[in-house]
Amino acid sequence: MAVLEAHDLVKTVGVGRGARRILDGAELSVEADEVVAVLGRSGSGKSTLLHILGGLDAADRGSVQIAGEELVGRAGGALARIRLRRIGFVFQQFQLIEELSGLENVLLATRLPGAPAGGAQRVRELIDVLGLGPVAGHLPRALSGGEQQRFAIARALVNDPVVVLADEPTGSLDAENGAAVLAILRGLERRAVVIVTHEPEAAAIADRVLSLADGRLT
Amino acid sequence: MTAAWPMALIGLRSRRRRAVLTGLGIALAAAMLSAAVVISYGLGTGFARATRAAGLPDVIARFNDIGEHRVAARIEALPDIARFALRLEIVDGEVGFHGRQTGTIVEVLDGPGRYDGYAVVAGRNLPRLGSEVLVEKAFADAWGIRVGSYLRLGDNFLGPLRVVGLVEGPDDVGYPLAKARIYLSRPAIDAHFGGPERFPQVDLAEIWLRNPAYVNEVLAQARATSFGIKDIQFATRAGIRILLDQAAGIVIDLLVALSLIALVTAGVLLAASARAEVQRRLGTFGVRRAVGETRGQIVRTQVVEGLLVSVPSGSLGVVAGLVATYGPASRLLELLNEPPPGWGLWWPLGLAWLGAVGFPALGAAWPAWRATGGPVVTLLRGGDVAARGRPFAGRSRGGGLVGLGVRLVGARRVRWLASVVTLGLSAAFVLLMLALASELSTLETDPGALGKKYALTASLPPPSVSPTRLRRIPGIAAIAPRYEVNAADSFELGETIDTIAFPGGGAAFEAPALVSGHRVRGPDEADVGAGLANALGLTDGSVLALALPSGRELRVRVVGIVSSLDHEGRVAYIEAGTLLRYDPGAASSASLAIVLTPSADYGAVTAALTRLGAPPSVATGATARGAPLVDVLRAILRAVAVLDGLVCLYALIQACALTVFERRRTVAVLRACGAGAGAVRRLLLGAVIALVVPAAMVGVLLERVVFGPALSRLAENYAVLNLAAGSGPVAAVVAGLCAAALVAVGWVARGASRDSVVEGLRG
Repeated sequence: MAVLEAHDLVKTVGVGRGARRILDGAELSVEADEVVAVLGRSGSGKSTLLHILGGLDAADRGSVQIAGEELVGRAGGALARIRLRRIGFVFQQFQLIEELSGLENVLLATRLPGAPAGGAQRVRELIDVLGLGPVAGHLPRALSGGEQQRFAIARALVNDPVVVLADEPTGSLDAENGAAVLAILRGLERRAVVIVTHEPEAAAIADRVLSLADGRLT
Repeated sequence: MTAAWPMALIGLRSRRRRAVLTGLGIALAAAMLSAAVVISYGLGTGFARATRAAGLPDVIARFNDIGEHRVAARIEALPDIARFALRLEIVDGEVGFHGRQTGTIVEVLDGPGRYDGYAVVAGRNLPRLGSEVLVEKAFADAWGIRVGSYLRLGDNFLGPLRVVGLVEGPDDVGYPLAKARIYLSRPAIDAHFGGPERFPQVDLAEIWLRNPAYVNEVLAQARATSFGIKDIQFATRAGIRILLDQAAGIVIDLLVALSLIALVTAGVLLAASARAEVQRRLGTFGVRRAVGETRGQIVRTQVVEGLLVSVPSGSLGVVAGLVATYGPASRLLELLNEPPPGWGLWWPLGLAWLGAVGFPALGAAWPAWRATGGPVVTLLRGGDVAARGRPFAGRSRGGGLVGLGVRLVGARRVRWLASVVTLGLSAAFVLLMLALASELSTLETDPGALGKKYALTASLPPPSVSPTRLRRIPGIAAIAPRYEVNAADSFELGETIDTIAFPGGGAAFEAPALVSGHRVRGPDEADVGAGLANALGLTDGSVLALALPSGRELRVRVVGIVSSLDHEGRVAYIEAGTLLRYDPGAASSASLAIVLTPSADYGAVTAALTRLGAPPSVATGATARGAPLVDVLRAILRAVAVLDGLVCLYALIQACALTVFERRRTVAVLRACGAGAGAVRRLLLGAVIALVVPAAMVGVLLERVVFGPALSRLAENYAVLNLAAGSGPVAAVVAGLCAAALVAVGWVARGASRDSVVEGLRG
C-alpha cells in the first residue's frame, strides 16, 4: 500500500522571463518498505521535489498525500504536525545543532510539542542500533562525518515516521561512511524511503530508480 | 565610493526587516543621547546663559539703606570700575493680581537701562517715567500674568501698575522657589509722588568691572573703604552660582546623573547593535572577498549602508529626544530664572546627531575591516555562529527547546553580556525612577517624611479657651504653639533663615532626621538645616547669629544639623522661650501644632477644634513652593522613563531577532523536524530568559548598591531619601521586563514561523 503519493506536481521557480518550470506533472507513489532513488542533473529539481513531498515547500499545482493525509493546502501548523509524526528528513550537510551533543540532537526531536510518547526509549534503541553509544555525548564538531550523518538519521527516525526523505545523504561522506549510511537506509523497515541523489552507489540500493528530467519522473 | 552606493542599496533592500530593526535601535539610542544632551547642556550652561543675557554684574553689594550719593561716591573711587547701578530692594512687599495676593520683593531701579542684572524676555524695559512694572517671568507664568496686565502693589498706593515686560534675573531662583520679584523705576515713583525724593535711599549696588579677573582686588578695596555703610555683604558671580547650585543642586545633580546613565545605556546599545550586524554578515563578506572585492570596498559599502540607515533613524531619534525633554527642562530652567538653551543647543545636538549617525556606521566599518582581514575561507563559514565551548551546558542539559534557546544566546558571550548590561542598566534606571517618584510623593504628601509629627495645625483659639480644654479633645495626643519667623544671618543679611520654635525645643512635634549632633535641649541651642549649614559653613558647635524681625540679634550655638527640604534646608529650630525673649512680636506668628492619636477621628477632632474657635488645617509635606519643582522633575523622569522602557523592549526584540537570524538554519532544522510556531516561541523564550533573569538581578543590584545610595548621598543635604527600591517597584520592573520579553518573543516568533524553511536550511 502506498504511504506516499504525489500527483501532477507542478512547480515554477523564478519570475518573468527568468521563470523556469522545474516540475511539470511529476507523479510518484512509494509503498512502505520500499526505497526509491530519484536521480537527476544538478538543477533538475530533485531537492525541490523532496521539499514539496515533505511539506517544506508548496507546489503550484498537484497533490501530495502522506499516509492518506493531504499536504497541499494545509496551514503551516498542520504541516508541522504531519512532519513531526509522519516524515523524517536526512540532509546532505547533516544539519545537527552545534550547541547540542549528538544524543541531545536526537532527543530534541522527541521533545517538540506534539511528538509521540516513548521518545526516550526509542532514542536509546536507535543509538544502540546505529552504534553511536560511545560518542553520544560528543558535540557535532567532535564527530566524524559518518557519525554525524548517523545521528541525523537517528533524529529522522526517532518519532517513528512512515516516510523518510533523504537529500543527497552521502554527498558529504567518503565512500566507506557513505556505504554505511546507505546500508542503514536500506535496512529501514515499514517505511517508505525516498533518496534524492546523483550518485550511482546510492541508486544501487534502491528498489526503484526514477529519473527527474524536464520536470517529470520517469 | 561610487560603487558602494548601489551595493549598499541592494544590501538594504534585501534586508529590509533587519534594516528597520537596526534603524529603530539607532533611533532609540539617538533619542536617549539627545535627551541626555538637552538636560545636561540645558541645565549645565543655564547660569552662563542667564549671566550673558542679563548682563549680571561682577559684584553685587547689599547693605542697609543709605543715601544714594554716598554709595555712588564710594564706588566711583574704586579701581577698575566699568559702570554701576543702584537700587532699593524691598523684601517685604505684597503684590496682587486678579484677587490673589503674595509676598514680593520689589526692586526699585535707579536708572533702568541695558545693564540692570536682568534680561527682558518679553515686552520691553521700563521707561524712565510712568507707572509701569517688570515682572519675573517664572512668577508671570505661574500666575498667568501677561504683558499688558495690571498689578497692585501693597494697598495700591501707586495705583494699577501696567506690566510692560517679563524678565529673568539670574541672581536668585525664580517664583515659587523664591519670592516673586517685580521691578519698578524710581523716577516713575518719584513722578507719582510729585517730584524726586530729596535723599533717595538705596540698599543694593551692582558693579561691573573692566577686568573681572581683578574681582578679589576690587572687593578688598571695597571692604577697606566701606566704613559707614552698615551690614555690607558682597556677592560675586561665582558666589551667586554657588548659592543657586545649593538651591537647585539636588535637581541638577539628579538629572545629570540620570543623563549619564542614559548615555551609558545608549552607548552599550549602539555598540552591541553595530557589532552584531557585522558578525551576522561575515559569510557575505567572505563571498565578496572570494570574488575579488578588496577590504576597502567592503568597508566603504558597509559605511554607506550604515549611513543609509543611521541618517534617517538617528535624525528622527535626536528630534524625538529633543521634543520629549526640551519642555520639562525649560520649565525647570525658568524656575531657576535661567533662559532655555534655544538655538544654543544646535552644536551639542549636532554632535549628538553626528555620534548617533556616525557611530553605528563606523562601528559597523571597524569590525568589518578587522573581520575581512582574516582568511576568506574563515569568513565563508561565518554565516551561522559556531559554538565556542558549552555555555550554560551544565544547567540546560536536556532542557529541551527552552534550554536550547538559553544555549543559543549564550554562544555569543560578548553580545549576551552587552545585552544583559544594557537591560540591567535600564532596569536599574527604571527602578531608581520608581523609588524617586515614590519618595517625592512621600515628601510632598506625608508631613512625617519631613519630620513633622503633627497632623493638624490651627490658629490660636480665643484667650477664653484654655489649653487644657484643647488637650482634652478626644483624639489629640499633644498640642503646642509653633512659632515661625523669617530671620536673617547677622553676617550675611541676604541669607534668610526660616526660624521655627517650640516650647522646650519641640522634638516631639517636629524632628527632621538628624545628620549630626543632637536635638535642641537648652535655651541657647539650635538645630539647623543642612542647606543652611552648607551656605554658612556651620558645624556642630558653631555660633549662629540670627537677626530677628525685632531688630535684635540672637546668638545660639549649633548643636545639631538636620535634613530638611523646607526653605531649601535654610531652617533653624530653637527654643520658643528664647525666641519670644528676643522677639516678642513672634507671638503673633504662633499657630497650634496638633499631634493626633493613631486612632483619632480627623472629622471629630476638626469639628471640636472649630467649635472652640481654632479651625484646623491638615499639615502638608514639602511646602507648596516645592510642588512645581516636583512636578517638573516628575515630567522629566517620565520622559526619560518612557525612552528607557522602549530601549528595554528594543534590546529584547533585537536579541531575539538576531538569535533567529543568526540561527536561521537551526530554526529551519527544527521546523523541518516538525516544530511549529509554539516550538519556535519556546526556543525564543529560552533566549529571553537567558537575558531577562540575569538583567533583572543586575538591575536590582545596581539600583540598591550603586545608583540608589549615590543619589541618596547627593540629596543628603536636603533630605534623607531612601532610594533603595522596595519589593513593589522590583516586582513591577520584573513584570515589565517579562512583558517586554513576551512581546519580543511573540513578535519575532511570528516572523520566524513565516520564513521559508528551505531558505533557512540553506543558511
